[in-house]
Amino acid sequence: MTKRKKWTTAAFAIIAMFVFLSACSGSAGSNSGSNKGNNAGTEVSTDPSQQSEITLNVFSNLANYAGEQPGWFAKLVKDKFNIKLNIISGGQQKASTMMAAGDLGDIAVAIDIKDAIKAGLLLDWNKDGLLDKYGPALKEYAGESLEANSKQYGGGTAVYAVGNNIGSGDGPSEGAKMTYGPMLRWDLYQQLGSPEIKTLEDYLAVIKQMQELSPKSDSGKPVYGFSLWSDWDGVMSVNVKAMGQFYGFNEGDGFNIAELMMTKADEAKWQGVLDEDSYYMRGLKFFFEANKMGLLDPDSLTQKFPDVVNKYTDGQVLFAQFPWLTDGYNTEDRLSAGKGFAFVPFTEEKVFSSGYNPYGGTWHWVIGAKTKHPERVMQFMNWLYSPEGVQEATAGPKGLTWDIVDGKPTLTEFGYQAVSNSVDMPAEYGGGKFSDGGNKINNSTLTTSMINPETGEPYDYTMWSSYLNNKPDPVTKSWREAMGAVTMKDYVVKNNKVAVQPPYFSEQAKAEEPSDIKQKKAEVGKVIKEYSWKMMFAKDDNEFASLKEAMVTKAKGLGYDDVIKFQVDNYEKTVGAALKK
Amino acid sequence: MGAKLNGQAYTTAAVKQFRFKEKYTLFLMALPFLVLVFLFAYLPLYGWIYAFYDYRPGIPLSQTEFVGLQWFTSLVSNPYQMEEVLRVLRNTFAISTLGILTSVLPVIFAIFLMEIKSPSFKKIVQTLTTLPNFISWVLVYSFAFMLFSVDNGFLNNLLMNMGLIERPLNILASDNHTWLSMTLWGVWKGLGWGAILYIAAITGIDPELYEAARVDGAGRFRLMWHVTVPGIMPTFFVLLILGIAGFINNGFEQYFVFSNAMNMSKIEVLDLYVYNVGVVNNNFGFATAVSILKSIVSLILLFAANSLSKLVRGEGVI
Repeated sequence: MTKRKKWTTAAFAIIAMFVFLSACSGSAGSNSGSNKGNNAGTEVSTDPSQQSEITLNVFSNLANYAGEQPGWFAKLVKDKFNIKLNIISGGQQKASTMMAAGDLGDIAVAIDIKDAIKAGLLLDWNKDGLLDKYGPALKEYAGESLEANSKQYGGGTAVYAVGNNIGSGDGPSEGAKMTYGPMLRWDLYQQLGSPEIKTLEDYLAVIKQMQELSPKSDSGKPVYGFSLWSDWDGVMSVNVKAMGQFYGFNEGDGFNIAELMMTKADEAKWQGVLDEDSYYMRGLKFFFEANKMGLLDPDSLTQKFPDVVNKYTDGQVLFAQFPWLTDGYNTEDRLSAGKGFAFVPFTEEKVFSSGYNPYGGTWHWVIGAKTKHPERVMQFMNWLYSPEGVQEATAGPKGLTWDIVDGKPTLTEFGYQAVSNSVDMPAEYGGGKFSDGGNKINNSTLTTSMINPETGEPYDYTMWSSYLNNKPDPVTKSWREAMGAVTMKDYVVKNNKVAVQPPYFSEQAKAEEPSDIKQKKAEVGKVIKEYSWKMMFAKDDNEFASLKEAMVTKAKGLGYDDVIKFQVDNYEKTVGAALKK
Repeated sequence: MGAKLNGQAYTTAAVKQFRFKEKYTLFLMALPFLVLVFLFAYLPLYGWIYAFYDYRPGIPLSQTEFVGLQWFTSLVSNPYQMEEVLRVLRNTFAISTLGILTSVLPVIFAIFLMEIKSPSFKKIVQTLTTLPNFISWVLVYSFAFMLFSVDNGFLNNLLMNMGLIERPLNILASDNHTWLSMTLWGVWKGLGWGAILYIAAITGIDPELYEAARVDGAGRFRLMWHVTVPGIMPTFFVLLILGIAGFINNGFEQYFVFSNAMNMSKIEVLDLYVYNVGVVNNNFGFATAVSILKSIVSLILLFAANSLSKLVRGEGVI
């Protein structure tokens, strides 16, 4: 090799290195320069749709979708604001990465705002009078939430976030359906002559009879009473926890970090999940008995959530803990043939419900400190919290899927078909099914069961009088006749079967979790999850008892009591104290 | 070296000058790679500092609580915790040992594959066995679920239809032979891929050796045993020593996708444990502390394996 060639090689190697390095810094640069839009965009027109096109990066911890917002919601936002939304999904790990990188994009949803504020990653909405200028609807409809956030996190002067699901009023904040069931296959339950169900455990015998009535699903597969999944479990089994939710107890207290305890919605009562008489333990026993009777899907442990959805859709499952599980089965065809799930409560039931909360929930909406378009982001957020925005995000574009008929909001002919996903949306609205084109950020703003001041009816179209009176299918009709109520919510309110959690407000932010408690909770949670499933699938009563003992011993050995003490102390100082008054 | 060959024609000074230049050149040529090694292998060591803090993403270390050795001591803080760590280490070592034991399989496979005379058949076998390496574990699991699920799984349907079993078997939710089945999945996925290096090594063996052996009257199996095997031994030992160094890092994905409550106590290897306790709960300090311990153990294992190799074979790789 000549000298010259050597030099060429060396030079080439160095250039290659620079390419490597610049590629590294290049990608880092494009991550931190979050705005895809090419204009610096400080100009804000009075007509928002006349502004230049920009793309906003929206990180949502709740999104089940990544990429550009599709469909009719994209068209609404584009037409009104000339904004495109780039949805970034991802759980806690993705949020951590973005926090560590120091940039949360333009809008972020359901992140840990306390740390983000400490890290200086959130925009102060009071800076330059942003909120006053561009957020009139936010101030009008979410004023208390803004104020509360300012007191808790902004020292009373800055506003960094607004809560989700904001509303005011009495009673449950849910729409026509509650958050927790239980739902049964109404057709089979009717065939059995609607036997009375007093306690949770009474479902087992009824479901066994239902299984005998319908041993095979639509596609000829075996039918089970229950089909569970483990991939959503945090420190305990999500499906077992639901048994507590039927009795008015929910995980945590809605304010503090308190996942190992369950608290009563409307009373100052709490129980540790491992307490001998806790509803969680009762739930484990319930599913263990179900498994002994051959009612529990043996794949529960190994399958993932989408497998469960498929089983519901095929009719392989008879009982649903959560009403939304039944959407796949309750199609128009099946319902008009008289088959479908409906709410079948038990006598003791007091279903957990979150009441209307003017301070909002903890899945906050925030604006990233590094956004280049604070004004336009604020305009867009303002619309999301305005009656017009909430209404259209819920029921679709006005004039297409719904309109005002005789002074009342009504789904159009097309709208009825669209919301049941039996027709595609028109091509100029991005095509696809109605549900595919909805808001992919997947977080609420105002509670949709609130009354829209512009129409005089709730935002949620399933609560419109026109919708409720629109030729009910045989299942709904027979359910209404049997229960003497129009909707599930109507029934639980009339019959006092609901425990409504009142809103809680504190000027103090929630207590931070010390590092050793955090670690102990992780270890304990792992044990509880593992043994919960083992107990549900235990071979006999002896094994169940010994597994239970092993779970409690192990969890206590790993620090269960310390974690509970931390959580209960916080609860009794805050939410618990407020409930006692 | 060039300078030596033409030594007579140069003065000593000229030789020195040339040597200086040559050194310079060689250094420059190596520089980019040194920089890369520094960037990707040494710079990240700075991150070890997080093991001593209660780090929360986004907040600078200066404002983060210093916890000293808390994450390290928490591993052995009480008998129950120690039992957990021991269980995890037991799983890690058992699965890794099985992995090392099965690392001879690709060698055997490569040797026999090279003995196949029909080139097209050889290609087909090699492609089919290499392919699984490119399937992600997530897909492997959904495939396993299709095969072995209780409700409508292929195997259960087959056995039930043949009348061999009365109740479907729940193979995925069982803690029988977890270590072995995990190893088998690993072998299925990695066999063809692992054989590639050995095939390359076999191709590199001097054909004259085979001819000489044949002249000496060696048959097919004697050729394999006395020529091929010694020929690829160096490759095998390099990979074995690297494998031993990676003893404690036996991966995460495979165990993560296959884990469930029933097999958790047997399948939870160190990386999965760090994920379950550290990463899921945003406890990066703890995760870093465990990874420091892992690095130290890996270093010790590497040097131990290397000295063993020196002792046994008279040569090591470092």
